[in-house]
Amino acid sequence: MRWVETTTTVRFNEVDQWGITWYGHYFAWFELARMKVLEKFSLLPEQFSSLGFIAPVVSAQCEFKKPARTNDIITIQTHLLKPQTASLKFQFEILLQNDGSLLAKGETLQVLQKLDGTVIYKLTGTLKERVESMVQYFWPD
Amino acid sequence: MQTPLLERNNLLANLKELIVRTLRLEDVSPEDIVDAEPLFGEGLGLDSIDALELVVAIEREYQVEIPDAEVGRRAFASVSALGDFILEKSSAQKASDAVG
Repeated sequence: MRWVETTTTVRFNEVDQWGITWYGHYFAWFELARMKVLEKFSLLPEQFSSLGFIAPVVSAQCEFKKPARTNDIITIQTHLLKPQTASLKFQFEILLQNDGSLLAKGETLQVLQKLDGTVIYKLTGTLKERVESMVQYFWPD
Repeated sequence: MQTPLLERNNLLANLKELIVRTLRLEDVSPEDIVDAEPLFGEGLGLDSIDALELVVAIEREYQVEIPDAEVGRRAFASVSALGDFILEKSSAQKASDAVG
């Protein structure tokens, strides 16, 4: 089981008046990290669209363990669960880089749809090949 | 050999069990599911994530594919519709195996 790491710095405009990161920004960091993974497998949103599909998030969840503050360097670790259905479930852990402490962890679930909004239940063609190579990367035999 | 009617009734009973087991429905028992009741939205109240799981279970149990929600709209209209869909696809498959 493999994780992909992405690093970013907490900006001033991401913290609230108490000096801690506003909770919604953690989802933006999940997104940042997921894009880095999807880029590796030619599954960025525009590439999805050019294949005739979209992959909207239908569920997102996060547990907040410790607050991140301005200028903290954070590491977002991303992992793909082995799909049992035609969907993508990514898991994330956000760590403070200087001491490795866990700030937050969560997951997102995406379903796959045709451009007209029809949910697909089985992957086929190029989309299937690309998703399978991403699964293989996270779950090498 | 079972009559077609008995075969269909058994299939519907098995499908109800499959739905409850696959989706881990806690407040619904197989006997509670009405043959003609819609599975999604009103009725049993399943959603698109449930559909994804059911599709996998149906393919595993009956070797019948439901490729997308467009086909699913017909197949998942009710347990009764799902049973008919599986019977139709299975007999088409048998016919094509016999020819092929």
